[in-house]
Amino acid sequence: MTRFLKLSSCLLFVVLLGACSPYRHLTFHTDATESAMKYKPVFDKKLYRCVVDGHFLFKKFHLSGLLFFKKLEDKSTRVVFQNEMGFAFFDFEWDKNDSFKVNQIIPQLDKPALVKTLQKDLSIFLFKDLDKSSEVVAEADGNVYNRFSLVKGFAYYISKHNTLQRIENTGKRKRVTTIAMDGKETVSSLPDTVLFNHHRAHFTIQLNKITPHADE
Amino acid sequence: MISVGIHAQPKGYTAVKNLSAFQQSLSQANAGKQTITSDFTQVKNLSLLSDKIKSKGKFYFKKDDKVRIEYTSPYSYLLVMNGGQIMVKDEQKTSKINTKNSKTMQSVNRIMIDCMRGTVLQNPDFKVTAYENAQGYLLSLAPANDAMRKMFKQIDVIMDKKTYDVRKFTMTEQNGDFTYMDFINSKQNAAINDALFKVK
Repeated sequence: MTRFLKLSSCLLFVVLLGACSPYRHLTFHTDATESAMKYKPVFDKKLYRCVVDGHFLFKKFHLSGLLFFKKLEDKSTRVVFQNEMGFAFFDFEWDKNDSFKVNQIIPQLDKPALVKTLQKDLSIFLFKDLDKSSEVVAEADGNVYNRFSLVKGFAYYISKHNTLQRIENTGKRKRVTTIAMDGKETVSSLPDTVLFNHHRAHFTIQLNKITPHADE
Repeated sequence: MISVGIHAQPKGYTAVKNLSAFQQSLSQANAGKQTITSDFTQVKNLSLLSDKIKSKGKFYFKKDDKVRIEYTSPYSYLLVMNGGQIMVKDEQKTSKINTKNSKTMQSVNRIMIDCMRGTVLQNPDFKVTAYENAQGYLLSLAPANDAMRKMFKQIDVIMDKKTYDVRKFTMTEQNGDFTYMDFINSKQNAAINDALFKVK
């Protein structure tokens, strides 16, 4: 009985530890001079090879295509996902005020939960619709953590030596998504490689820059 | 299904007057084609974004129902159609699709093969309107059912006037975006190893 209680206590400790915020050890403060907004991507257009991998109810899925980012003259941003043969899967738009809309999506992907997940991924990645007044900063282990409050949870922009390393979306307690990136030419350019890792939904989206990319 | 006058007449083309003669010539020309190999360039035109995405590769066709589309640049992607099965292979994974379980994939599979072997006029998923000019024929395909209408607004196939080889294949989506494939350096009846069409 005593052993059972000890084991239960250990398990409870592990569960509570896992339930805590991954950044509970950080002390955040307000500092406008350290804003992560300097990392907001400035771009004309960029084309990526896109591979989606995951599993749902023990069934694996794999999907590949091309993801195209473009900033239009009216300051709206479009993200289009198509297969290799040119058939469009979705066409998302953020207007100049960061208001989001779906221009087109194939019926197989037109599920509210999926659209919401993709919108959130891409919005955080592109610094769309962030509440700048909620931004706080902390430093630890040579990393700078800029945290923005979202409707649910937080978005952490984690940088080192003035380069954005990754973005983490957390709920109240756990990481939901990690967006790791590499190959940024400048502080504010889109990275050459990106990996969206959904810890709860168990899928990844991998982006690799395509060269030469789209031309007029 | 073939008809005249469903679409607005494309610029530079007139409707084919003698459809049965055209159909007969197309069948005769394709009867002698056992294989087709070709290079292709593909351009996806994003109308609203005023932008294009280009790619290129190799195309293989072998009668009756084998197609291999191999994208080589700027990304690697392979699509093989063989009978009722499709295999796709990207940089990371090979996937097999049984078209018998998917009406849409079955239709896309069939339209590509029908265009190559000259049986496109009999395809039940599209209403075909035929036009011609001095250089070639233009077959304009309008979806005849809802499944196809969800995918395509129209498909246009341009064929060489003398050889009836497919020169250009254009798929237009409902939002006006279109993708065309230009077939160049086409060769007929070159030996093609069956291994190229193996669906593993």
